[in-house]
Amino acid sequence: MKGFKSVFVQEWVILKHNSTWWAILGLLLVLTVLAALNGSARTNQMADMGAGLNQGELQTQTALQSAVARWEANPEGDPPSVASPGALGLSVLSHYTVLPPTQLAALSIGQTDVQPTYYKVTAHPALTFLNEAEIQNPLNVLAGSFDVAFVIVFLLPIFIVALTFDLMSKEKERGVLSLVLAHGVSKTAFIIAKGAARALLIFMLLLLVGVAAVLLTEPDISSGAMWARFGLWFLIVSLYAFFWFALALFVNSLNKPSVTNGVILANLWLVFVVVIPALVNVAATTLFPAPSRVELTTEMREATEIADQESAESREAFFFDHPKMVGGDANADQFFLQVLATDSAIERAVVPLMEEFDAQAQRRQDVVDLLQYVSPAIMAQNALNAVSGTGTERFTDFVGQVLAFHENWRGFFTSRIIKGSRMSAAEFDEIPTYAYQAVTMGSILRSTLNPAAGLAFFVLILGVWSARRYARYPAV
Amino acid sequence: MILTVARKEFREIIRDGRIKWSALILAVMLVAALATAAQRYADISAERASAQEVVNMQFAAQGEKNPHAAAHYGLYAFKPVTPLSFFDTGVGSYTGVSVWLEAHKQNDAEGEPARDATAIARFGELTAAFTLQMLLPLLVILLAFPSFAGEREAGTLRQVLSMQVAPVQLLFGKALGAAAALSVFIGPILLLGLIGLMLTPGGLAYLGHGVVLVAVYMIYALIFLFLTLAVSANVRTAQAALVVMVGFWAVSSFVLPRAASDVSRLLYPTPSAVSFQANIDEALQSGLDGVSPDTVVQQRQKQTLALYKAETVEELPINFQGMIFDLQEKLGNEVFDKFYGDLYAIFDQQTGLHQAFSIGSPRMATQLASMELSGTSLNQHLEFTGQAESYRRELIEGMNRDITFNSAAGQADYRADSALWASIDPFAYQPAPLGALLTRLGPSFMVMFLWLALSIVAGVLAVRKVKVTLG
Repeated sequence: MKGFKSVFVQEWVILKHNSTWWAILGLLLVLTVLAALNGSARTNQMADMGAGLNQGELQTQTALQSAVARWEANPEGDPPSVASPGALGLSVLSHYTVLPPTQLAALSIGQTDVQPTYYKVTAHPALTFLNEAEIQNPLNVLAGSFDVAFVIVFLLPIFIVALTFDLMSKEKERGVLSLVLAHGVSKTAFIIAKGAARALLIFMLLLLVGVAAVLLTEPDISSGAMWARFGLWFLIVSLYAFFWFALALFVNSLNKPSVTNGVILANLWLVFVVVIPALVNVAATTLFPAPSRVELTTEMREATEIADQESAESREAFFFDHPKMVGGDANADQFFLQVLATDSAIERAVVPLMEEFDAQAQRRQDVVDLLQYVSPAIMAQNALNAVSGTGTERFTDFVGQVLAFHENWRGFFTSRIIKGSRMSAAEFDEIPTYAYQAVTMGSILRSTLNPAAGLAFFVLILGVWSARRYARYPAV
Repeated sequence: MILTVARKEFREIIRDGRIKWSALILAVMLVAALATAAQRYADISAERASAQEVVNMQFAAQGEKNPHAAAHYGLYAFKPVTPLSFFDTGVGSYTGVSVWLEAHKQNDAEGEPARDATAIARFGELTAAFTLQMLLPLLVILLAFPSFAGEREAGTLRQVLSMQVAPVQLLFGKALGAAAALSVFIGPILLLGLIGLMLTPGGLAYLGHGVVLVAVYMIYALIFLFLTLAVSANVRTAQAALVVMVGFWAVSSFVLPRAASDVSRLLYPTPSAVSFQANIDEALQSGLDGVSPDTVVQQRQKQTLALYKAETVEELPINFQGMIFDLQEKLGNEVFDKFYGDLYAIFDQQTGLHQAFSIGSPRMATQLASMELSGTSLNQHLEFTGQAESYRRELIEGMNRDITFNSAAGQADYRADSALWASIDPFAYQPAPLGALLTRLGPSFMVMFLWLALSIVAGVLAVRKVKVTLG
């Protein structure tokens, strides 16, 4: 690598005095900081909302408990209606299960605007609450979020391309290359030194904005897990940036005019960032289309009607809502048993369909997981989502936890409804509560290291290929 | 003279092949997108229509029931799709496709297709509109960036201008040549798309929409064409022209829409689903103006008894329970109108912000117009849910009227038969006519025409300056 050091040092001096270069870096810095501020505002808002969700529910629970306790201390007349596990579980009580944002959530909004970050769990079947959605202006969801991941995946390549598309071609067009080579500098050393000088600056900038972005979100900086995530984030971002450097070096090795290099790289950006993701999406949805939600709706309806007809009494279920119509003599216990029967009849009919949804979604996800290796942009986005905990895997894990909690919650009330027992004040303390179990570091590593390896592979291939081309690169 | 320049420019572009690859990518994606659109339309329109039919039949075949039980059973309204819904899916992936219409409650549309999509869908869905919005400008830029700057570098610009070609003629000649080359690449595809639209069942009614859409995308391409020519005439090298235009394209097409969405969230936050529901529940319980529904019912009972000079509701010639249901329903509707009205006012403010941002982004203006014309805008989604809600209110009112007039007071075991269910007209969504859409698109069209005018003026000014510098 003869002459590497002198070229590298020279390049630093040139870059230091190049105002365009500073303008581009400055713009990247400003965009990243804005994105980080935006991301942290969104994340903090989400965390605040999630934290307060169960307060109301727990207050209700405590108030009801003391009502029962008062009656137990002085049992006069009928026990309060809330001592009925049916009334409690099937109409009064619910429990919010919240997916808390991770410490790096602000760096990638990911799927959090499409997938719920909390569910209101009740003793009814899970299908009644799994479809609830947060209020969103669909126009905003369609546009997507201006987060750090967007700056990295979409904009960083444009900046890198703008800084490197004429790396070699310009030197050649100006006749500098033959001059430099005449001084005994090797072509490979020349190009690597020029690339490295730019890369070093970009990486320093990325590290700077990364740390700034993390600090802006005010995480617990003493947490090892946070820094582990940040290490992974920086690894992914670096590999992705390396890929675009390598691609620009490769295109320069084709020995075309600067303008042609620019056109080729603009097209490649379009292909990797826009075209391939759209095609992969269409491939996945065509190969494994989602089962029809419309059909699910009509099936569910049919099941409800059949369940209602099966039990003659529950056809009158609405009278419980309007006891005045039957003179207030509705048999509550009987009613709740019928609700349970209807619930489970609907569940029996609909759960197979829901499972088909899940299975098909899994197949679709598998295809996308496989096809992501076609485009570094997809790999980077997936890995950045995984690092921030806003991707599909952590969400799937969360839904699994919600369903497990729901089983628990539901079992607590249904077993008592079936037994026909009353809730004692002491039993209120046994009502299940939900605590989110963080995903293990191992699973985060699994979902980030695969795309990282894919990115590294791209970099390697481009690097080797370019090196061979530069060995034969004509100096004039 | 313009024609001579145009012919030369056209021939050069075709021969040069610098846009060969981008044109091919655009053509392949456009054809693929239109083909999938046709397929999806065929599948999904059939699915929704048959689901609506099944639901209507289920309602009609309820057998003997108390009308209020039937109101609780309710109906679903499915959002129909039009042949253009898949040209531009718009907000369609992020809005529900069916609304449950039941007693006492205004429900949200459910079943957003995005819930079933993978994270990759967020890169953008392959639709013809997405392809045209994203790729067409880039193709135009690659086509036109060297027009002036390249000739300046080659030294031919000086020659051409010395041959008594007016700079403005040169500008329009080059624009015409580039536009002709562009039409060769995508004209046939768009024409085929329009013919396909005409051949699609029910498509003829949307031909007008289709023609306006083609015009919108033509203006979109022209904006980028004149902008690129203006930049190309202004800067010294072709390279600089390319960097400036790609930069503008990336910022206006990718950054601004996202910025608009985040700024709108910050300035006009929407309530969380939890607090929205809690507020509605609270208002349903205690009344909007602090007078509880129970009090209102008691007052109405007193008034009605006084009117009929009766002592008890049993003496009334009607079933007063039906009137109570009706009154409760109307009180509930006032609550829904208030809270959904407030929410949609926030949506309106947010959409207004997107519109304001579109002043800086031809793509955003084009997208807003494209969604509206394709029937997949937020406006039209809310029109669908609005019509479904009006239908629900009429349906429930009809059921309560039947209880009021066809059953006796206290007759809880009253049953209506299938004649009542059959008397209900099925739900049919009436989309806004093209004229209304065009009026609504005023601001977007204005932004687009403004951009076009500005880019032409910029081009003219830039080429005039070329002459001066050559003195």
